Amino acid sequence: MPDKSALPTRRAPLSQLFQPDLVPEPVSPEAIGATVPITIDGIETKVPLGSTILQAAKSLGVHIPTLCYHADLEVAGICRMCVVEIEGQRTLQAACAYPITTPIKVNTYSKAVRIARRHVLDLLLSEHCGDCYSCRRNGSCELQALAEEYGIDSFRFGHCERPMPVDDSSFSVVRDMNKCVRCRRCVRTCIDVQEVGVLEATKRSKDVFISTFLHKPLNDVVCINCGQCINRCPTAALYAKNASDEVWKALDDPDKHVVIQTAPSPRAAMGEMFGLPPGTTVTYQMNTGLKRMGFNHVFDTNFAADLTIIEEGTELILRLYKALVAGDTTVALPQFTSCSPGWVKYCEHFYPGYIPNLSSAKSPQQMFGALIKTFYAQKLGVDPAKIVSVAVMPCTAKKFECDRPEMRSSGYKDVDFGVTTRELGRMFRQAGLDVPSLPKSDFDDPFGGATGSGLIFGVTGGVMESALRTVLELVTGKKLESIYEHGEIMPVRGFEGVRYAEIPIQEVGPVPELLAHLVPDWDWLRGVTLKVAIAHGTANAHKVMEDIKAGGHFSGCHFIEFMACPGGCLGGGGQPVPTSAEIRAARANAIYGEERTLSVRKSFENPAIVRTYQEFLTDGPCGHRAHELLHTHYTPRGKHID
Amino acid sequence: MTTVDLEKLREEVTAIAELTNFSRASLIPVLRNIKEKYRGIDGEAMQVVADILGMHPVEVDAVSTFYAFLQPETQGRFVFRLCRTYSCELAGKEEVAAQLQRDLGIGFGETSADGAFSLEWANCMGMCDQGPALLVNEEVYAHLTPARASEIVADYRRVVEDEAAGRSVDTRPAGLEVADIKGAANELTFSIIPAGDGLAKALAMSRVDIIDMVRDSKLKGRGGAGFPTGIKWNLAAAEKRTPKYLMCNADEGEPGTFKDRLILSDHADLVMEGMTIGARAIGASLGLIYLRAEYGYLRPHLNEVIRRRKEAGLLGQDIGGIEGFNFNIMVAMGAGAYVCGEETALIESLEGFRGEPRNRPPFPVVSGFLNRPSVVNNVETLAWVPCILSKGVEWFKSIGTENSTGHKLFSVSGDCARPGVYEFPFGITVAQLLKEVGGENAKAVQIGGASGRCVPEKDFERRLAFEDIPTGGSVIVVGPDRDMLALAHNLLHFFVDESCGQCTPCRLGNGKLLEGAEMLRDGTCTADYLEELKGLANTMQVASKCGLGQTSSVAFMSILEHFGDEIHAR
Repeated sequence: MPDKSALPTRRAPLSQLFQPDLVPEPVSPEAIGATVPITIDGIETKVPLGSTILQAAKSLGVHIPTLCYHADLEVAGICRMCVVEIEGQRTLQAACAYPITTPIKVNTYSKAVRIARRHVLDLLLSEHCGDCYSCRRNGSCELQALAEEYGIDSFRFGHCERPMPVDDSSFSVVRDMNKCVRCRRCVRTCIDVQEVGVLEATKRSKDVFISTFLHKPLNDVVCINCGQCINRCPTAALYAKNASDEVWKALDDPDKHVVIQTAPSPRAAMGEMFGLPPGTTVTYQMNTGLKRMGFNHVFDTNFAADLTIIEEGTELILRLYKALVAGDTTVALPQFTSCSPGWVKYCEHFYPGYIPNLSSAKSPQQMFGALIKTFYAQKLGVDPAKIVSVAVMPCTAKKFECDRPEMRSSGYKDVDFGVTTRELGRMFRQAGLDVPSLPKSDFDDPFGGATGSGLIFGVTGGVMESALRTVLELVTGKKLESIYEHGEIMPVRGFEGVRYAEIPIQEVGPVPELLAHLVPDWDWLRGVTLKVAIAHGTANAHKVMEDIKAGGHFSGCHFIEFMACPGGCLGGGGQPVPTSAEIRAARANAIYGEERTLSVRKSFENPAIVRTYQEFLTDGPCGHRAHELLHTHYTPRGKHID
Repeated sequence: MTTVDLEKLREEVTAIAELTNFSRASLIPVLRNIKEKYRGIDGEAMQVVADILGMHPVEVDAVSTFYAFLQPETQGRFVFRLCRTYSCELAGKEEVAAQLQRDLGIGFGETSADGAFSLEWANCMGMCDQGPALLVNEEVYAHLTPARASEIVADYRRVVEDEAAGRSVDTRPAGLEVADIKGAANELTFSIIPAGDGLAKALAMSRVDIIDMVRDSKLKGRGGAGFPTGIKWNLAAAEKRTPKYLMCNADEGEPGTFKDRLILSDHADLVMEGMTIGARAIGASLGLIYLRAEYGYLRPHLNEVIRRRKEAGLLGQDIGGIEGFNFNIMVAMGAGAYVCGEETALIESLEGFRGEPRNRPPFPVVSGFLNRPSVVNNVETLAWVPCILSKGVEWFKSIGTENSTGHKLFSVSGDCARPGVYEFPFGITVAQLLKEVGGENAKAVQIGGASGRCVPEKDFERRLAFEDIPTGGSVIVVGPDRDMLALAHNLLHFFVDESCGQCTPCRLGNGKLLEGAEMLRDGTCTADYLEELKGLANTMQVASKCGLGQTSSVAFMSILEHFGDEIHAR
C-alpha cells in the first residue's frame, strides 16, 4: 500500500500555551487488530475497529455514492450523498464520516436513504448552472453520473439560469463557479495537500462560495498552477486551459513544422483515457498515434531529462567544490531541483529568499524547447520560425512555464504549447485513434530514445536517483551496480512525503573528460557523505523549507528534490481524473517497470547526450552556450497580494 | 477600513496573538479587535493577520466573511443593529425599522456617506422580552418605538458632531437610557443558594462522588438537547488524554431565549462555581466561557467576577488547597453566528475557524477543543450544579418529573402581559405557564425557539418536559390575531441567514422552504409542490449534518400541520 503520510492533514499544530504537555495519540485501534461485527444490507461481517461505514461497505462490494469524499483528503461529511440508515438511530449518517466502534446494522438503500440522496441531488442541481453537453466534464462528471444513477429527469427545485463569469485569468487553471457543488475538495487539496492556500469557502449559508483571497482572479493570487484541484474536482468547476485548438491549427497548417516531445508520466497514464487500468504504459503506441495525427517528429522528453541531470549535476558539483574546496560561504546550499514549475513558483512566492538555492537548470521541457529551435533546426535545416514545438505533459503548470517571458532563449518562444495528458487523449479520440490498439513505433532522431534515468523523472525521487546515478559513477569511477543492486538507489524511492538519505563517497576515481575543464580532481569528495532529501506535494515542501529556515536537519543537505505534485509528475494536475494513492502507485510501478527494460540507465551514457555536447554544446556542461540555452533565472514574487 | 499604519497594526495583532502563543485560536479576538478599532478588515489587514498567525490570507477572509460581526466591509462609527426575529417582530420592529432608515438616511446593510452610521439587521440579540431591541455598538436599547428610535439617532448624531468638533465625549450619549439587562423575573432558586456552598462541598468529595451525585440528580442539559450532564462528565473524566477543557456555552442565540443573559448578569459566580466543580470532576485545567457577541456588554462583568474569584483563591493554582487542582476561566467572544451554539461549531470557533459543526463521532468528550477531551455545558446547566451540591440530590429530584428533574428557566416573550424569565418546575403545562405570564388568550406558542415546534391551543395541556415537549426554555406567545405564515416566514428567514452552509440539505434546503412560504403567501404554491417541500423538510431533518439543519424545518412543518386551514384560506 502506498504511504498515506504523503498527504498531510489539515490542522497545523496549534498553540503550545494550550498544549503544555503533549500526550501521544493513543495507539490506533487498527494497530491493535480489534474488530467489530456489523451488518450491512443484511450481510454480516467483521471490520477493523474505527473503519468507516464507507470502508466497510467497500470491503463487501457494496456501493455507496459519494461526492465530497476523496480518498486523498480529510473527511468532510458535508455533501450528504453517502447517507445511510443505522438501525435505532433517528437521523441518517454520512457513511464516509461514521467510524464503526460498536456493532451496528446498516441499510445503505432504505427508502429514507434513497429519498435523501435524491433530494441532495435535486438541491445541488437547483444551483448548478449550465448544460451537460457543453461542459468540459461531459462524460467524466461525478454529479452527472449520480444524476443518472438516481434517475433525475426533472429539476424538482428549479435550475439556475443566470451564469456567473468564468475566471480564465490563469495560464493553467480555469474556475467556473457555475459548476461548483461546494464539496470543498479543491479547498482541502489547496490547503491540506498543497499548503498553497489559494482557495477557501467564504461567506455562509446559501452564499457559501469557494473563493480566492478577496475574489481576486486566479492569476493575481499565489496559485502555483499545480492543478491538483482539477484532479480532485468532481465537476467542471475547475479545469485546465485547453491548447488543443491551437495545436490542431498548427497541424493543419502545411507551412508549419510541428514537433512534439512527450514526458515520461503521460505515457504511464494515457491508457487510462482509453479505459485501460492505471499502470499500463502505451509509450510506443503513442508515438505512432502522434505521427498519424500529423506531427513531423516525436521526441522523448527523457533526452532533455538526461541533459538536465548533466547540467544540474554539474551545477551541484560546482557548488560543492566552491563551498568545500574554496571555502566560499556564499554558495547557496542545499541546491534545490527546478524541474517542477509548480514547485518553482511555490518557492518564488513563499520562499523568495531561497531562489539562489534553486538550480539554474531549466526543466527538461524548456531545455528541449531551446534545443529544438536551435540545434535541431540547424541540423535539419528548418527555419525555427516555422517550427511549432508542442510538449505533452502531466502538468498544468507547464502551460505557465512555457509562457514565462524568460523562456525565449532560442530567439523564439521555446515551447509553443504545453498540452496535458487529458487534452492529448481527447485529441487522439478526435482523430479516431484508439491508442492502446496502435502498433508501436520508436522516438525520432536526432535525440532518439533516452535512458532510464530520464524516465524515472516522472516519479517522486526519480530526479534524485538519476542525479545520484550519474554523479556517483562519474566521481567514483565505479559501476553503480557494484554499489547498488541493479543500480537502483532504493533509499530515495518510496511515497513518504519527505525522505532523507545519506550517500557516503568512500573512494574517488579520475575526473571524466566531460568535466575535466571544471574540476582538477575528486580528492575533495573522498570521505564526504552526500546528504539528500526528497519532498513531494508542496505541503511537504513547506515542511522541509520551514525546517531549513529554522536551521534544522534539512539545512545540512546538499541536494533536495522538490516536486509540487503528490507522487511526483505521475500525479500531476494534467493527468487523467480520478487520482488516488493506488492509481499513483500503479503509474509509478509502470514507470519503474519500463525503466528496467531499458539498456541505458544513466544519463551520461546516453549517446545522444554525448553527441549533443560534442556537436553543439561544445564548451561543455554549464559552459557558456549551455548557460545561454539551458539555464534560466527566477523571479522573487513574494506572497503579498496587492 | 480607513488608512492604517501597518506597523502599528502589526504590533496590535502581535500583542493579542502572543496571548495564545501565536496560535490560530487568536484569530477571532484579533479580527474583533481590528473590526472594533478600524471598523473594517481590509486585504492588507488580513494579510498582516495571516502572516502573524501563520495562516493563508484566504483563510482569514473565509473566517471574516463567516461571522456577522466580522464582515470585512468598513462600517460606520456607530453600527445600529435592529433585531429582526419573531419576538421583536411581534413588538413592532417594522415601524422602528422604517423610522431608523428615515432618520439615518440609509437602508439596511448600508453605511452613511460620512462614515458615521451603519444599519444592520441582527438575528435575535436576546432582548426578546423587551423588544423591539436595538444594539448600537455594544449598547443595547429596548422597548423601541419609532419616536424613541428618533431620539436615539439624534443623540448619537450629537456624539458624532461632538467628536468631529474635538469635544471630548463618552462612547455613548449621556443620559440615554439603556435596556434593563436583567429584565423581569420571578423568584429564582439561584438567589437563595449560599455562595460557595456547592463548591465547598464538592471540594470535600472525591471526583467520582461528584460525578455520581450529578448523575443521580438526573440533571439534563438545559440548552435544549437534554443530554444527561453526569454521563457527559463521566465520559470526559474517563478519558486519559490531557489537558481537558470545560466550555460554558453562553452563545445563547436561539430566538426567544434570554435566560442566560439574566443568569450571567445576576449569578455569574454560580455559573463559575459550576464550571469549577465540573473541572474538578473531569480533570479540566481551563474553562472557556463562549459569550455571544450580542452580549458583549456582559464581558467586563464576567472578567471582573473571574478576577475576584482568582483573588479569593477560587480559581488558579491548588484551588481549595487541593494540590494540583489548577483551573482558570477565560471569556472567549463569539462574533455573530447562531450555529456556534452547536457544541462542535463552538469549538471550531474557539480554535479560530469558521463555525462549522464537526462530524460526530468523535464527540467532544473524546476529542474536542484542540482535539482534547472537552465538555460543553449550557450556562444554566452549570448554574444548577452547585445548587444540587448544596441542597442535595433528593431535593433536586423532588422537583419536576421522573425524567425531567429540577426547575427550568423559561424565557417568555411575545403576546403576553408579563414577559421575562421564569423559573418553573419541569412538567408544567403550556396552559399553566400561559396563565402565569398573562398569555391565556394565545392561539399558539412557539416553544424551543426557531428550532422548536409550534404548539396550537388544542395541545396547551401538554407538559414542558423532555418526555413531552422538550425545550431549552424559549416560549414565544402568539396572540389570536397573528398570521401563522408570517411566523413560519420569519423563522425560515432566520435559518437562511444562519445556516453555516456546509451540508447540502441545510445550505440549500432552507432557501427552498422559505421560497415555499413566500409562494404560500402569494397563493402560487401548488398542492403538489407543497408535498415536495414537506418531503424535502423531512430529508433535512434526517440527513443534515448537525442539529441546526435537523431542526430548522420543524416549526414550519408544525405550523403547516396545525394551521393548514388558516394558511390555505388566504
